Amino acid sequence: MIKTQFYTTAVMAVLMLMPAILCAQVSVMTATDIDSLEHHLPEDMKLLETVVITASRTPKLLKDVPIVTRVIEARDFQAVDVSNVQDLLQTELPGIEFRFSMNQQVSLNMQGFGGNAVLFLVDGERMAGETLDNVDYSRLGLDGVERIEIVKGAASSLYGSNAVGGVVNIISKRVEKPWTLNLNTNYGSHNNQLHGAAVSFNKGRWASSTNVRYTSCDAVKMPNSGDFGTIYGNKTFNAKERLVYSHKGLTMTGRAGYFFRERESQQTSHDRYRDFSGGLKAEYDISENDNVMASYAFDQYDKSSFALTSGYDVRNYSNVQHVARTLYYHTFSKQNVLTVGGDYMRDYLMSYQFHNNGFHIQHTADAFAQFDWNITERLNMVSAVRYDYYSLSKLSHFSPKINLMYKFNKVSLRASYADGFRAPTLKEMFMSFDMANIFMIYGNPNLKPETCHNFSAALEYIKNQYNITVMGFYNMISNRITTTWNQALNGMVYDNMAPLTISGLDCSASASWDCGFKVRMSYVFTNVDYHKGGLRLSSTRPHTATARLEYGKQWTHYGFNVALTGRILSAVTCDEYTSLTDLTQTKQVTYPSYTIWKLSLLQHVGRGLDIKAAIDNIFNYIPEYYYSNSPATTGTTFSVGLSVDVEKYFNKITK
Amino acid sequence: MRKLLGIIALTLIMTSCDGIFSSLYDVVETTSLPFGFKEINESDNSGTLYLDTRDYAKWTYINLRDKAVDTANMLNNSVEPQDWDFAIHRYDVKTNGGMVRQTDFISLDELRQYGHYDEGNFTADTLGRVIVDMSGMMNGVIEYRESNINKVLSRWLNVDLSTMPPIYTMSGKIYLLRLEDDTYAALLFADFMNEASVKGYITIRYIYPL
Repeated sequence: MIKTQFYTTAVMAVLMLMPAILCAQVSVMTATDIDSLEHHLPEDMKLLETVVITASRTPKLLKDVPIVTRVIEARDFQAVDVSNVQDLLQTELPGIEFRFSMNQQVSLNMQGFGGNAVLFLVDGERMAGETLDNVDYSRLGLDGVERIEIVKGAASSLYGSNAVGGVVNIISKRVEKPWTLNLNTNYGSHNNQLHGAAVSFNKGRWASSTNVRYTSCDAVKMPNSGDFGTIYGNKTFNAKERLVYSHKGLTMTGRAGYFFRERESQQTSHDRYRDFSGGLKAEYDISENDNVMASYAFDQYDKSSFALTSGYDVRNYSNVQHVARTLYYHTFSKQNVLTVGGDYMRDYLMSYQFHNNGFHIQHTADAFAQFDWNITERLNMVSAVRYDYYSLSKLSHFSPKINLMYKFNKVSLRASYADGFRAPTLKEMFMSFDMANIFMIYGNPNLKPETCHNFSAALEYIKNQYNITVMGFYNMISNRITTTWNQALNGMVYDNMAPLTISGLDCSASASWDCGFKVRMSYVFTNVDYHKGGLRLSSTRPHTATARLEYGKQWTHYGFNVALTGRILSAVTCDEYTSLTDLTQTKQVTYPSYTIWKLSLLQHVGRGLDIKAAIDNIFNYIPEYYYSNSPATTGTTFSVGLSVDVEKYFNKITK
Repeated sequence: MRKLLGIIALTLIMTSCDGIFSSLYDVVETTSLPFGFKEINESDNSGTLYLDTRDYAKWTYINLRDKAVDTANMLNNSVEPQDWDFAIHRYDVKTNGGMVRQTDFISLDELRQYGHYDEGNFTADTLGRVIVDMSGMMNGVIEYRESNINKVLSRWLNVDLSTMPPIYTMSGKIYLLRLEDDTYAALLFADFMNEASVKGYITIRYIYPL
């Protein structure tokens, strides 16, 4: 098995290098065509001109952001045929693993940070609800998404709690065309279905976009034994609407969304998950140098149990978050930007894990300020401070950061210090849960917040179609929150852990040529070091890599794009306690390495028809034993899909 | 502009502090539900039994003749009742000198029409053990007690412990219970959870006497 994986990886590496060899000649030939070069910037160069928002909370060109920000655009996820954020992140970024925790709940490991230490935002707004410390990733479809911005490292000085290991911000599409109508459908192995529709219009001061999506998948039985045997069947439904009014420097955005998921977890009962979201945002350009924004966001995430025999749908969890926010920007000397702002959040949580299915409410407030200072033409510094306060825990936290960027020739150097923290959640403070009449899990109101000092330094080299980025990072983490066994209480209790460090190296290289080839390769080394008797308690894989090789052409009535994507994850050996109640005995466990590759073909036919086909896990990798962090694959799978942009059949062809 | 104001008004009205659309859900007062015999139909001898079997220390005894339910706690050595026909501990089942056969029927009406209750092999109880205390499980201590178990009747629910959480699969089949006095009962275990999907609440549809 290991030999097979080695050969697979070697073959794929050679394949990845082929375009460079094949296109070297082509590049020389096309380089003479100056006009062509000027009018057809390589994709990566275009990407650098993308305006991003996550790293500094103000719009800024990607090439000018002093923190390494990875942007994945809509064309990327169409090319690799993924439909949700979970698959996309795993495909595009090394160091990211979505795995199963108890009861097949999905949990994230991003370079040693769990789901509760990586902040997921949708247009800058937090998501309510969690299960086993992770938000519901199935809420994050890619319909109506323009791009995803990923900032690795702490960012609490801008985003507060949970921005410890990184921030993932999903940015919705803006409506630019007079009208659009897209209908799409996808069918794959295990009766995996996705059907969606999107309609938008832009008329005068008004713009609207509406997306609906339905997905379903049968239960899937794994061919070998393991920590999970059959993956539950499930279905989801998602609908969202955005309405924008713009007039004389004023932009108002209203939005509403509904999400539903049903999981066939038991023969006689299903788990149901619902989310209701809405929001209002007003942005106003007071003057050329002054802008103000105010917003209100509502997000409610419910869980219920649906009994098939009685038909009762009983809610056992509800998290309701109201967030009010204001931001003010002032630009000095047309290049230096001061941002000040504040948030208020009311956090309501009712849970079956509280005594008598009770509830708790917490109010949080914060204020922050950031100054983006272009000291010279080459040197940029962004510094920020933020103060957060939590009403129930009486906890307050001060988060600073400083980012520096220096550009010379084709090189950008970045260095950063940022503070990250995670406040104890209502669940962690007040849980009182009877675990199947076996033991209790108790909350701890005296928990300290998790903190992280994050240091990073990065070098980015850009020349023509080539882009190379190397980043080193070092995180000092204190008071990570976990559960420990309490003999006196005969139960688990939330507690703070001993310090640990997470350090490593993050490298990526990409290139694109006019002949139609594109390559991107990324590698991450992660070392999680627990300061506890030399034990290696983390199952974070030290070496991970992703690769994407694309080739595409477009003619008047036909075009195609072939993408080969792969993930390579090393084995990891770690120490695990043999008993939850006695932390003196450990055993070594090795989780095997694996690699998975996918081949996607996207064809553009006629004016607006896209035909998709994909073969996933093309080398038919099947785990011999399904550990919780093994890929939930049964081997090679297939999918086909259609997408029609109806409006293109009514528009004149413009060259 | 009116549209936008409408959305603003709607948003403010809808988003009450502790959430919206609570009417989507059912509210079940699980603690006040009556346990024991219910929905008894004297004309065709059928009915429904609803039992709380969450307690590992407890046997719940069912007397089909008198429509009575009683319990005994193994940890404090409670005495079992004098007259009973079958008993349930969590999902384990035993009989009072009876014998059991699993049929292929999944409908009590079809079984009644078929008749021939005495056909096939009936199985008596055998000695086994049941868990009486799980509280020490995390310390590796689980307390068991010896007890008779009817292995055929206990097949009504398969608990697959190879994955966590366990997968519960009901057979859906009707079981014929031949009592000591050669009368027959038909038992269909309809659920092992209550309306709120809490495990350990058992619903049995029965016909007695057949």
